[in-house]
Amino acid sequence: MIQLRGIEKIYKRGSEYVHALRGIDLEISKGEFVSIVGPSGAGKTTLLHILGCLDTPTRGEIKIDNRAVNLMTESELVLFRRKKIGLIFQQFYLIPGLSIYDNVALPLLFSRTRVEREHVLSLIELVGLKERVNHTPAQLSGGEMQRVAIARALVNKPEIILADEPTGNLDTENSERIFELLRKLNKNGFTVVMVTHNNDLASRADRVIRLRDGRIQHL
Amino acid sequence: MNGFLKLAITNLKRHKTRSILAMFGIAASVTVLFSILSFNRGFNRELAKELARTGIHFMVVPSGCPHEVASLVLHGAVVPKFLDISVMERIKKSKDIEVATPILVAQLPNPEKGRIDLVYGIEMEALAILKPSWRIDGRIPSSDDEIILGFEVARHHGIRVGDYLSYPHLGVKFKVAGIVKVTGTQDDAFVYMPIKTVQVLLKRPSGATAIGVKVKRPELLQTIVDELSEKIPGIQIVTMNDVMNRISNLAASAKVLSLSIAMVTIFISAVGVMNSILMTVFERTKEIGMMRAIGASRTDIFRIILMESTFLTLLGGIIGILLSVVGNDAIEAFTRKIMPYVPGGEIVSFEPGLALMSLSFAFVIGILAGLYPAWKASKINPIEAIKG
Repeated sequence: MIQLRGIEKIYKRGSEYVHALRGIDLEISKGEFVSIVGPSGAGKTTLLHILGCLDTPTRGEIKIDNRAVNLMTESELVLFRRKKIGLIFQQFYLIPGLSIYDNVALPLLFSRTRVEREHVLSLIELVGLKERVNHTPAQLSGGEMQRVAIARALVNKPEIILADEPTGNLDTENSERIFELLRKLNKNGFTVVMVTHNNDLASRADRVIRLRDGRIQHL
Repeated sequence: MNGFLKLAITNLKRHKTRSILAMFGIAASVTVLFSILSFNRGFNRELAKELARTGIHFMVVPSGCPHEVASLVLHGAVVPKFLDISVMERIKKSKDIEVATPILVAQLPNPEKGRIDLVYGIEMEALAILKPSWRIDGRIPSSDDEIILGFEVARHHGIRVGDYLSYPHLGVKFKVAGIVKVTGTQDDAFVYMPIKTVQVLLKRPSGATAIGVKVKRPELLQTIVDELSEKIPGIQIVTMNDVMNRISNLAASAKVLSLSIAMVTIFISAVGVMNSILMTVFERTKEIGMMRAIGASRTDIFRIILMESTFLTLLGGIIGILLSVVGNDAIEAFTRKIMPYVPGGEIVSFEPGLALMSLSFAFVIGILAGLYPAWKASKINPIEAIKG
């Protein structure tokens, strides 16, 4: 499903060059639940950028479904992202003025897909917010907002769910619920990759990938 | 509703005060623009109407400042110079002339009524030909002691057809043979008197301020004018087109000035819109990054931001036009006070064409003001959403 070969990423910060990834080889199979952990500055976020097709590597190759992502142009990346990847963010990023329904349907606007009301509602039901369809984000708790964001990530029917610290802003109880939701999605066939600081949750994934100084630590 | 538009409007609503302030800047400048355009259009339209209603193609006046004389005759003021009546006979000889009539404009004090009447001395037979559009209550005078009144004069004096208007200090009184129904022009303000009577009153037996001429074939006007000016010395000929051009040139230079002021206000308000949109773009860097990450292309982002700015300016434009419609009367009253010559009739009126033009203008301003913020926003990298 996802293959990374000798991935390196160097970017410029001010006047210095940061070697964020120093040769990552990694394979993630379809249907796997992988968590990525490591201390700050280990390259977790950069790796997630590359897995999410938000950025391309400086060196190395990345293939998703046998397509060489590192060779894609900007507009190809946009199309590929829309189709294959659902993203979940630490800060949720819901649009304040839009209803829960409209927030979930937002990616359909960009992918020029006709909004099927039933589909959107079924996702909202899946994350357990059926009664709050017409509410706005301000009326929700953090955990609920993250669940809306998960429904939004699913609306374009992606194959891969990438979650960046999905529980970073939540308490234990809500973290647990979000994790269970991801687990459930994984059981339904989604490939899930989760970056987290929460070692407890990380260890409950199928596989834990530990990063340190831009490399994978093999224990 | 289109999803992009909904998103744009939602974004604007998030900063209500800021959006409303920027919008009112645009509204104010569109008000100015629309009012100036409407005024200018109406000014020329009413001026053309007013000149057409004088029924005269050109005026022959004594050498001097011809336009001064022409506009004085139009509005009824005493002209210090008089035309030699022999000129009249020479003009009448031309076969292309339908009517040529001496005109003597004078001001007669009317102490009894506490006002000064504007007296328009003209041959009564000519009046019938020159003013075919008049609807008259009564008839055109048939003897030298009869007069016909403009609507306003009659109303002011409270006079009806058959009554008498007297000037006791001159020892004369006239029978009112007719009253012209309201024309909405300067015609309403005159007392029309047979020219001979006015000449006697002013003790200028053969004097005239001007000679009004109507030609048989208006398309030959210029040729006739050229011929006459060559043949007869000591006169000048002012065609109604000259008068119109002169007055509208005057109005046009006022227009250029006021339009430049409008342009400055528009520029300032456009900068206001750009600033407001740019701020929201900067504040939303992460959110825009998120939208890019979940599938928005650069063009999508560009479009949303451009929609925000054009929606803002279009709404401002609509409000501006409404404001200017509401303020029509005030604007007209104001210009009548400051402009030296404003034709009668309703000048500032709502013209859909001009409204559409002003709206398109607001639209273009929206696009121009939105281009830079939209470009900035489209450059936001999707990795902004996930920053370690």
